Amino acid sequence: MVELIEAWLYRPNFIAFVILFLWGLYITVVHHNLVKKLIGLYLVQTSVIFFLVTTSAKSGATVPVLTSVTNPGGAEMYVNPLPHVLTLTAIVVQVATLGVSLALVSAIYRKFGSLHEAEILNRLE
Amino acid sequence: MTYHLPALVFLVPFVTAIGLPLIALRDERRCRPVALAALSVMAALSLMSLGSVLNQGEIRYAFSGWAPPVGIEWVADEIASIMVVAASLLALVSLLYSSPFPTQTLQGRSVPYYSILLLLVSGLSGVIYAGDLFNIFVFLEIVALSAYSLVAVPGGRALVSAFRYLIMGALGASFYLLGVAYFYSATGTLNIADLAQRTPGLLESKAVIGGLLFMFIGLGIKMALMPLHAWLPDAYTDAPDTASPILAALLTKVALLVWVRILFWVIGSGDSEQPVVVFSLVWVLGALASVSGVILALSHTDLKRIFAYGGIAHVGLVLIGVGQGSHTGLTAGLFYIINDAVMQCALFLLAGVLVHQYKARTLDDLKSVNIRSSWVGGAFVVVALSMIGLPPTGGFFGKWYIVLSAVENRNYFALVAIIVTTLLTLAYFARVLERMFRSAPKSPQVPDTPLSFRASVAALAAAIMGLGLWSDHIVSVLLEATRGLGR
Repeated sequence: MVELIEAWLYRPNFIAFVILFLWGLYITVVHHNLVKKLIGLYLVQTSVIFFLVTTSAKSGATVPVLTSVTNPGGAEMYVNPLPHVLTLTAIVVQVATLGVSLALVSAIYRKFGSLHEAEILNRLE
Repeated sequence: MTYHLPALVFLVPFVTAIGLPLIALRDERRCRPVALAALSVMAALSLMSLGSVLNQGEIRYAFSGWAPPVGIEWVADEIASIMVVAASLLALVSLLYSSPFPTQTLQGRSVPYYSILLLLVSGLSGVIYAGDLFNIFVFLEIVALSAYSLVAVPGGRALVSAFRYLIMGALGASFYLLGVAYFYSATGTLNIADLAQRTPGLLESKAVIGGLLFMFIGLGIKMALMPLHAWLPDAYTDAPDTASPILAALLTKVALLVWVRILFWVIGSGDSEQPVVVFSLVWVLGALASVSGVILALSHTDLKRIFAYGGIAHVGLVLIGVGQGSHTGLTAGLFYIINDAVMQCALFLLAGVLVHQYKARTLDDLKSVNIRSSWVGGAFVVVALSMIGLPPTGGFFGKWYIVLSAVENRNYFALVAIIVTTLLTLAYFARVLERMFRSAPKSPQVPDTPLSFRASVAALAAAIMGLGLWSDHIVSVLLEATRGLGR
């Protein structure tokens, strides 16, 4: 048990990820306001992206740009660039999702005059 | 030329989708013919690529010449090619069928509508071809974003359904991406062929197990696996009648295909012991989904909703086959995915015809009309036989192989689940057919069924019969393509 807690404390980034992810999930599930649901969703997506980025971090390493052609040095000198690239694409996907969802929310507001889930469901009956 | 076919299959609808606003700038009526042409070209190209794959073996397409695992790879093996042919032909048929629907419902939005429809189809082909986990994520999101917008087209109630679908779908995508991140940190690669080399030694690793479960949750939402299915009935019921056939046919099936790929091509391909626990989880959840899906189908009266729950039950059936972990089970699952895509497309297409011709949305509406068209009635009977699983339709042979794989494993619980599902499917179709063919005394006169309705329902009924009559050939191709996978 002690080792487990110690292992967690050595990885504060993972703790931060878990807190952000669960917080976002909680907001998405519990809140009745559609925009607040989107904020929770945004937190969930961002926490996953944050997790991806932190997996590439390495102490004492630098940006993956060759400092010299003749003596490039080993792989341990550079951080892994691939998670950053994946993150860029994931951010694009996230922005697109947010765009579509905000368009839907504004259409719902124009149609039903409310952003509260219960009121909208009432008007659907 | 043949080497570039997979990329071309994707690019034709994709480029058309982006160019459509320019082409139809002056005249909105150009949208439909252009979309039809793009999908026809795509179908022809996918047939060509299937032919070349069957004759000369699989095509592994490396984008801009960067060799995998560094570059992005697309794999057009037999399974992917067959799926893409099915997807493009079903998209073509459901676009052909939609012509008698009044265009006023789109209210000047036909350019975005057809654009998004083409984007959806190109995204589907991307998911099927993609050879690495992250690419699959991106294409799944293209498909999902197009699907959210398509569901919302009618406005009103559909907006709320689309929003619900979006929340669920985006959460599913996040879970899937998290699983991919776990896999990447454990193995250092995303390419499926490369992962297959590295994962067998890592099956004890908690990162791989966790990643697998997160991916299963994410894909489970996308494939509407039973406890995660809540978005599907609303979304399919409220989606426009013109778009629901293509959505129902392929949205859940591609997620299923991705899960099958991960189960067998990534973690089940090594010589080491297979992770039996994962397979047991898959078939138990599949059995639960199939039985509860048909029970829910029995409890509803809206036609589209009944068919949607039938689709949820069939996802469970595929998972029962796949979860046996055997070669037969894998083949059975893949064959049933194809069958189910055709059947779901046909069911929602017929539901659309019933709404358009007879204004019948519920079982009670069906009671008060007489279905005079033998095309509609005949096609409905064929689809019903296939959904229930009676010979000589494709559904029977699909179910037969799933039963066979369960019996081979002496898995009698799965067998009971399949039998219960079959009987209850018979029950809910009996409810529909009884009301459909009872003669109504004062039924309103309806105009003749338009040619495009007759042609499309006939094509799909013929496809279902064809999948049954030529099931031998298709299954032997699938058996050959999956040689060496599974226990």
